[in-house]
Amino acid sequence: MDASSTLPMLATIWFLIVGLFLMFYVVLDGFDLGVGILSLFVKEEARRGMMMNSLGTVWDANETWIVIVGGTLFGAFPLAFGVVFQALYIPVMLMLFGFIFRGVAFEFRHLARREAVWEWSFGIGSLIAAGAQGLALGGLLQGPSVEQGRFVGGPFDWLTPFSLLATAGVLVGYTLLGTTYLMIRMQGTMEYRLYGLARYLAVAMLAVAAAVSLWCPFRYAWIFDRWFSLPDFYYYASLPALALFAFTMLFRSLAQRRTVAPFVWTLLIFVASFAGLGATFFPYLVPGTITVFEAAAAPNTLVFMLAIVSFFIPIMIFYNAYQYAVFSGKLEEYAGSGENQSH
Amino acid sequence: MDAWLDPVLLSRAQFAFIAAFHILWPPLTIGLSLVLFWWETMWLRTGSAYYYRQARFWTRIFVLNFGVGVVSGLPMEFAFGTNWGPFSIATGNFIGNILGFETVLAFATEAGFLGIMVFGWNRVPAPMHLFATGMVVLGGVFSAFWIMVANAWMQTPRGAVIVDGKFVVTDFLEAIFTPDLVHSFTHMFLACIELSTVVMAGFGAWYFLKRRHVDFFLPMFKFAALATAIVAPLQIVVGDLAGSALAEHQPAKLAAVEAHWHTNPPGEGAAWSVIAWPDTAAQENRWALEIPNALSLIVTHSLTGEVKGLRDFPPADQPPVWIPYYAFRVMVAAGVFIALLAIWTLVRWRHGQLQGSRVCDQRWLMRAWIAAIPAVYLALEAGWFVREVGRQPWLVYGLIRTSEGAGTLTTGSVLWSLSGFVLSYAVIGIVAFVFARRIAVEGPDLQSSLPRRWGYKPAPTPAGSVSSENERLS
Repeated sequence: MDASSTLPMLATIWFLIVGLFLMFYVVLDGFDLGVGILSLFVKEEARRGMMMNSLGTVWDANETWIVIVGGTLFGAFPLAFGVVFQALYIPVMLMLFGFIFRGVAFEFRHLARREAVWEWSFGIGSLIAAGAQGLALGGLLQGPSVEQGRFVGGPFDWLTPFSLLATAGVLVGYTLLGTTYLMIRMQGTMEYRLYGLARYLAVAMLAVAAAVSLWCPFRYAWIFDRWFSLPDFYYYASLPALALFAFTMLFRSLAQRRTVAPFVWTLLIFVASFAGLGATFFPYLVPGTITVFEAAAAPNTLVFMLAIVSFFIPIMIFYNAYQYAVFSGKLEEYAGSGENQSH
Repeated sequence: MDAWLDPVLLSRAQFAFIAAFHILWPPLTIGLSLVLFWWETMWLRTGSAYYYRQARFWTRIFVLNFGVGVVSGLPMEFAFGTNWGPFSIATGNFIGNILGFETVLAFATEAGFLGIMVFGWNRVPAPMHLFATGMVVLGGVFSAFWIMVANAWMQTPRGAVIVDGKFVVTDFLEAIFTPDLVHSFTHMFLACIELSTVVMAGFGAWYFLKRRHVDFFLPMFKFAALATAIVAPLQIVVGDLAGSALAEHQPAKLAAVEAHWHTNPPGEGAAWSVIAWPDTAAQENRWALEIPNALSLIVTHSLTGEVKGLRDFPPADQPPVWIPYYAFRVMVAAGVFIALLAIWTLVRWRHGQLQGSRVCDQRWLMRAWIAAIPAVYLALEAGWFVREVGRQPWLVYGLIRTSEGAGTLTTGSVLWSLSGFVLSYAVIGIVAFVFARRIAVEGPDLQSSLPRRWGYKPAPTPAGSVSSENERLS
C-alpha cells in the first residue's frame, strides 16, 4: 500500500467520521445544554425538576459523544488535538467545569435535602459549558497562531468580538434545540409558552448565522475566492439555501403548534450550518495553518482505527436510538402547579 | 518558591490531581456492575426477592459513584490535549488510537446502556434489562483494559519506532500487549473486585453494628467476605509478580520503590528495608531498618539474586524516591491488612460466629471491616502513585521525558485551572461521600412491589414518567 496516495483519502474519511461524531454531540448534548439554560428562567421548582427528568435517561449517552470526539480526534489527528486544545485552554477548562456541575446535578438532586442547589448547578453548569463551547468555536474559526506545529499565541487570543458573536450563536442555537425538545416531552401550560419563545430564538439564531456567514469571507480571502467562484458557488449556496428552507419550515411548524416538527427543523438547521462550516473550512482543521493531511496520524494507524471504529458506528447509533425509543413519550405534568414555588 | 510556579510542574500537579481523584470512582463501578449482573441473573433464575432488592439497593450507590466517575473522567481525556500537546502529537499514532478505541468500543457502550440499566426496570423485558446490565459490565471492563493498554505502553513501550519525533506503530499487537500489560491489567482488575467486595462488606458491617437489616445484609456480607478472602491473597501474588517484572523492565523504578541505592555484589543478597530515610542528594539512605537478603528473595526469588541499585542510573534518570517508597509500603500494608481480615472473618464464620444476630456481637471484626473501606481506597491510590511517580522522569519510559511532553502554557492559566479542579473536586467528593452515607442511613427498600421477571407487559405507570434510582420515596 502506497502511503502517500492513501493518506489524503484516509484523512478525508476521518475528517468526515470525526465530523459526524461532533455533529451527533452538538445536536444531542445541544438540547441537553439548552434545556439547562432554559431551566435558569423557570421559577417553579417542580417544573425545573421535570425538565431535568426529561434528560435523566439520555444526558450521559449524549455527553459521551464529546468523549468520542476527543478520543477519535486524538487518534486520527494528533497534531490538531495537541494544538487546538492548548490554544483554547481557558474555554476548554471552562467547559469541563461546566460539565462537572451539570453532570453531578442529576444524581445529587435526588439525594439532596435542598434540590434547588443542584437545579442551579445543572442550569449554571449547562450555561457555562455551552458558552465555553461558543468561545472555543469562535476561537477556532478565527485561526489560532500556529508556527511549525506549535501554538505560539497568548492565553486570551480566543477572546474577540467575533468569539462573543459565536458564543451568542451557540447559546441561542442550543436554547432553541432545548425548547423544541421540550415541546416533544412536555405538555400543559409549559408547552404552550415554549412556542412563543422558540420564535424569538429562531429569529436571533438566523441573525447570528447570517453574521457569521458574512464574517467568514472577509476574515479569510481564500474563503471569499472559494465561495464566490463558479461553479463552486452553486455547491456552497446549497447549504445556506437548505438552512433558509429549514428556518421557513420551522416558523411554519411553530405557527401550527406541531409537536415534533419544530425539533426536526431545528436539527436540520444545525446540520446545514455544521456542514456549511465543514465544507467552507475543509481541508483546514486549524483555519489557515493546519490541514487534515498535515494533522493526520500515520496511514497504518488510520487504517487500523477505521477497520474497528467503522464497524462500531452503526452499532453505536443503533443502541443510542434504542435507548431513546425506550424512554420516549410525554412526561406527566406535575400536580399542583403553584405549590412548589421556589424562594 | 518560583519553582512551584513553573507551568510544567503545575501541569504535572494538575494531571496528578485529576487522575488521583478520578481513579477513586471507576473501580467501584466496574466491580459493583459485575456483582449487580450476578444478582440480576440470580433474580431471574430463582425469583428470590433478596437478589432483586440487593440489586436495587446497590444500584443507588452505583449510580452515585458512576456520575462522579464520568464527570471526573472527561477532564483526563482533554488534559492530554490542553496540557500535554507535544506528548499527544508524538504518541498520537498509538495512544490516540487506543483512547479512540476506549471511547468508541467501551465507554460509549457503558453510557449507551446505563440509562436502561438504571431506569429501565418495568420498561423493557427482563432479559433485555439483564443484557443492558451485561453491556455496562463489558463497557467498564474494556474501558479499564484500553486505558491500561495505553498506560502499560508508556511504562514499557514496544512495537513502535520514532520517525521525525513521532512514534509510528510497526506492530499493533506488540504495542498493545506490552510486557507490562498482563500484570498491570490483572492487578487493576483484581483491585476493582477487591475494592467493591470490601465496600460491600464494610456497608454490611455498618448495618450489623447498628443492628439494622441484619438478615438482609448477612448473606451479602458473607458473599463479600468470601470473595475478598479469595481475591485479596491473589492480589498480593499478582503484585509480587508485577514487582519481579519491574526488575526486568523498569529497574530504576524498582530501585526507587525500595530505596535501594547500591547494586548488591555477586554472592551477596540485597537487603529489604521496612522503613528508611532516603537522601537523594547523598544517593543513599540516612538510616534504614533492614532485613538482610529479603529484597533479593522478593524480587528474584533467590537469596543472592542481583537487584540493580539507583546509583547505576544517572541522577537525571532516577525517579523521586520518597513517594514511591512510602506509597508502596502503604499499599502493601493495606493489602495485607485486608487479606488477613478476610481470612480472620472466614475463621469466625467457621466457628459459627456469623450466624443470625450473633454477627452483631462481633464488634471489633465489624469495625475492622469499616476501617477496611478507607484502607482499600488508600491502597488503590498508593498503588497508582508507585506506578506513575516511579515512571518518572519519563512519560514514555526511556524515550520521552516528562518535561518534553508538556505544552507551553502560562503559569496563570494552569494555576487557575488547577485551583478550579481542586475546588470542584473537593465539593463533589465531599457531597458524594455525604450522599453515599445518606443512602446507607435510608437503607434498602424492602417494600415496593417486584417487577415481572419473564414476559413483558407495558407497565401501568404513565408513559414517559421516569424516576431515578435515587429519587426519594415520598
